[in-house]
Amino acid sequence: MTQRLLRTLMRPSLKDLAKTALLSGLALGLAFTAAPTHEAEAKDKFIFANSSAYNTMDPQALFDVGRVAYRLNLYDGLMRWLDNPPKLNLWLAESHKISSDGKKYTFKLKDAKFHDGSPVEAKDVVYSTERILALKKGAASLFVKVLKPGTTKAVDPKTVEFNLVKPSAIFLATIPEIHIMNSDLMKKHEKGGDWSSAWVSKNDAGSGSFKLKRYDPAKGFLAERFTDHFYGWGDKYLDEIEFRTVVEINSRVLGMMKGDFHGADGYMPQDQIKRLRTSKNVNVMEQESMRIFYFIIHNARAPMNDIHFRKALSYAFDYDGFIKNILSNSVARNPVPLPNNIWGAPSGVKGYTFDLKKAAEHLAKVKKPIREITIGALAGYGQTEQAAVLLQNALAKLGVKSKIVAETWPVASGKMRNEQQMYDLLPLWKSTYYADPNNWVGEMYYSPNVGSRNNSWYKDAQVDKWIAEAIETTDRKVREANYAKAATKVMDDAAGIFVYNTKWFGPYSKKVDGVRFSPIGNAQEMRWVYFK
Amino acid sequence: MKLFVLILNRFFWFFPTVLGLMIITFGISHVIPADPVAFLAGDNATNEQIEALRHQLGLDQPLHTQLTNYIFRLFQGDFGVSLYTLRPISDDLSSRLPATLELTLVSVLVSAMIGIPLGVFSAVHRNSALDHFLRIFTVSGLAMASFWFAILLQLLFAMEWNLTPLQGRVESWGPDVVTGFFLIDSIIAWDAEMLWDTVSHMFLPVATLAYPAMATIVRFTRAGVLNAMNSNYVLYEQSMGFPRSVIIWKYVLRNALIGTITQIGLIFGVLIANAVVVEAVFDWPGLGYYAVQSILQSDYNAIMGFTFVVGVIFIIVNLLVDISHGFIDPRESR
Amino acid sequence: MELTRFLIKKLVEDRVALLGVMLIFALFLAAFFAPVIATFPADVAEFHPKNRLLPPDDTFWFGTDRMGSDIYSRVLFGARITITIAIIAIGVSVLVGVPVGLIAGYYHGWFSEMLMRVSDIFLAVPQIVLAIAIAQTLGPSIENIILALSATYWPFWARLVYAETRSIQNETFVEACIALGASPWRIMVLHILPNISSSIIVRTTIGMGGTILTAATLGFLGLGAPAPSPEWGRMISESREFLPMAWWYATVPGIAIFLVVMGFNLLGDGLRDILDPRIRRSVSHDD
Repeated sequence: MTQRLLRTLMRPSLKDLAKTALLSGLALGLAFTAAPTHEAEAKDKFIFANSSAYNTMDPQALFDVGRVAYRLNLYDGLMRWLDNPPKLNLWLAESHKISSDGKKYTFKLKDAKFHDGSPVEAKDVVYSTERILALKKGAASLFVKVLKPGTTKAVDPKTVEFNLVKPSAIFLATIPEIHIMNSDLMKKHEKGGDWSSAWVSKNDAGSGSFKLKRYDPAKGFLAERFTDHFYGWGDKYLDEIEFRTVVEINSRVLGMMKGDFHGADGYMPQDQIKRLRTSKNVNVMEQESMRIFYFIIHNARAPMNDIHFRKALSYAFDYDGFIKNILSNSVARNPVPLPNNIWGAPSGVKGYTFDLKKAAEHLAKVKKPIREITIGALAGYGQTEQAAVLLQNALAKLGVKSKIVAETWPVASGKMRNEQQMYDLLPLWKSTYYADPNNWVGEMYYSPNVGSRNNSWYKDAQVDKWIAEAIETTDRKVREANYAKAATKVMDDAAGIFVYNTKWFGPYSKKVDGVRFSPIGNAQEMRWVYFK
Repeated sequence: MKLFVLILNRFFWFFPTVLGLMIITFGISHVIPADPVAFLAGDNATNEQIEALRHQLGLDQPLHTQLTNYIFRLFQGDFGVSLYTLRPISDDLSSRLPATLELTLVSVLVSAMIGIPLGVFSAVHRNSALDHFLRIFTVSGLAMASFWFAILLQLLFAMEWNLTPLQGRVESWGPDVVTGFFLIDSIIAWDAEMLWDTVSHMFLPVATLAYPAMATIVRFTRAGVLNAMNSNYVLYEQSMGFPRSVIIWKYVLRNALIGTITQIGLIFGVLIANAVVVEAVFDWPGLGYYAVQSILQSDYNAIMGFTFVVGVIFIIVNLLVDISHGFIDPRESR
Repeated sequence: MELTRFLIKKLVEDRVALLGVMLIFALFLAAFFAPVIATFPADVAEFHPKNRLLPPDDTFWFGTDRMGSDIYSRVLFGARITITIAIIAIGVSVLVGVPVGLIAGYYHGWFSEMLMRVSDIFLAVPQIVLAIAIAQTLGPSIENIILALSATYWPFWARLVYAETRSIQNETFVEACIALGASPWRIMVLHILPNISSSIIVRTTIGMGGTILTAATLGFLGLGAPAPSPEWGRMISESREFLPMAWWYATVPGIAIFLVVMGFNLLGDGLRDILDPRIRRSVSHDD
């Protein structure tokens, strides 16, 4: 009896199961066919595929190349770097004056509006400056030594005055990194002395060409054109820009080829660039950038503190093999700690070549036994690993043992500051934060910067003198000569292994035009771009 | 009564287990040789700036103070702020957990819906061509490295044949968040395009996760069915003249499923583990990849946050499996 | 011994398990004879950037990688790494986990509870996540992978042995031993352990496969041996930025992993059929 009951109970359910399956299958099928095909290209929306995630929308929290897009497009500075070779242009400022002692900088502001309609005034510049000095993040390190809190003054609503502690030849070059924020709006969202950090990390307090519309740190950000931008608009522009985080190189490449993305980062491996060139949707723009690749050598630790060992290292790297074979000649050999194309770079310098005989000669002069050398590498950056392996290979031929330690950038950047933890060697890039030779040789080999920007522990009194002089004087000729001399000496001292200067290969959709490349900004400023 | 004691016992041990987990994680994460403060301060920061920032974040206090502060705040629901992004961890967790759960649950569903019938057929038509094929298929499923399988699928279906999207969870910005499960949310929003967007992005990741899960389910279902089919009561029914399909679908299946269902608890664990690499390969904004990133970046609060969440989920799932085990099979004493 | 001969005979009869044994044998052969059967044995440490990313041909049977090394040779040497990691990791975790499980299972009381709760803590997080954390802490190297894998795997054994010990405890023969006055150690080692050994052996074999996969995953994430180690997972990770052009770069190491793990799984299945009548994957003996 129970079995018959169960049978009657079960049988309908089985039929029902079949029926539901069939129906849902039909429904699903209909849904699929009825759904419109996905058009990723809107005529007026530009989608850029970025390799890093945008963790914050606060322009003063970060200062790196990978996440520059929101700072460039949502915010303005008093001046702006444009084009290649980079030129410093007036931006929010319509004029500037420097006092004769080089300590007072006065800027007059143009008529500009913030995204919420309120005018950009001197008090906003003062607020932004005080904020970056107080938060000590991002680009603050560029200013803390020259500006003291409370010394920046709003002379009148349109005039702002910076009072430097001492004259600085690079102050003007770094001014674009103070992004002007809407002080009234910011103060409304201030919470517990955080300078509104919590609010502005997700919101927009800028005056830039585009206004933030949507932001999701896992996805990216979307911005729409700010019609009231002070610079004005011609008749060709983008209505919306979207910067999306796409971590995998292959995904970016495929998306470009399919036409899903209109732009992507310009420092991809050459193999992928070749692939992009074959696509009928993609136009690969090529420009010489200012981004050198080199090995940091720990100059203060044995045996690297012996110049002969360092010279041996410099002769032990297969520059040609690396540049020609691994990088398919997509970069230019750059033997000094300054990009070849910046003023102040010494000309006609030959630099070291791959010569194991010469390396052995120098090695013979080094005290034996030589311990195992630790070569660092950046996890996830295949090039650094390949460079490390090449060096290891050559060292092995010379009888020097080495091991490669690949760690992530957060780990490596922490170790770089500590004399004991820093690796013996670390291959790395140095990008353009501001277009001045000080950005490279001045930061990297100046002894007061040891532990922060000087991760080589290189200390040379002569080089220090040249650089100190070049930082203070505004005489271009003196500066040019000094940086050239400093760079040549650093190379002669083999304080690092200087390999190449990057070329930028920017993939952009064939449908767009107007892309302007500058080594700072890397062609991610969208206000010039439009669909043809 | 034994079951009740079991449940009570587990609940009693819940908090110490989680606490122990937190302590171990805290210890490990602070031994990891990365300095998130140096990274946060930026490439050009001076050492004074870094120390100032460290003090600001409270990271210069002794470890046990930091730990007690953290646990104290945790009880108030404050997961702290990511040292890498300075955003509240709870925001990250609440957006990423549904992403992983959705992926995992859909995979379990797909693998069960396909796997169970296949297992039954395989057992019923033992030694047929289908059976042999399935056995090869399932053994392969358990031998494949998920990350490799994911890359292969990407290579073929997305790169070469252009049939599916390459990565990500959705092309667009996703539906308005109601539950966090995009499938449900797009249906609530009545948006067919969004639904298709979501579904098409799930093909490859779900296929990658479901394959090994399906393999396990097929094998266990097959074994369970075969076992049941040779048991006494089935023989009895056969001799009583019950039609074969009735025997199979009503009685055999139900008993075979007992083993399979308990396996699903284990499968869930395997799926979460595989989800880590699948999320990495497919750029899926889920908890798994978030976990890996936080560890690699020494983001202490993030590590503690997701460990807590995942740990709690695991403990709950294990508890449910143990309980259901106790219910289903009263013979099993703990 | 009688048992071993019986075992081997049964294994040979089960053709699928035999396939597994052959695959494993091939792995050991490859690892052992790598310097001899590799076409470019020096390519483990020597690099020729001129030859990078060449497709498979007569010289380079499986093509070359990003530094110009022969992938066939590197995969062979990678077998050594795979075997080392798998054997040691499983060995250590069994040597730790089994005694813990025995003791916790045999004794009752708070100490046993304690041991099981500790293993619960380890089991609370997915093994891979914990392994990543440990490997990251210690730094990328083969030794540290082994350590990470052992540290996260022993709880599985502990739990398994615990459950089995508890269920055997109530058997009559154990009661008899206690009645005869045998010491707990004697009972655990000489009586309980042999009865659960078949379960351990089966799980060990299958566990080898899982451990190899986890190790490959750690290598894929960059936590394994550093460059230029020919570790299989690492090779797949390196290959990604060259896909889909250099398809061989990702495919070949992946197939190697697949075959090896498959081998262990098939063998494990076969052993389970023979040794553990309670959990058969198929009931009759004729398939």
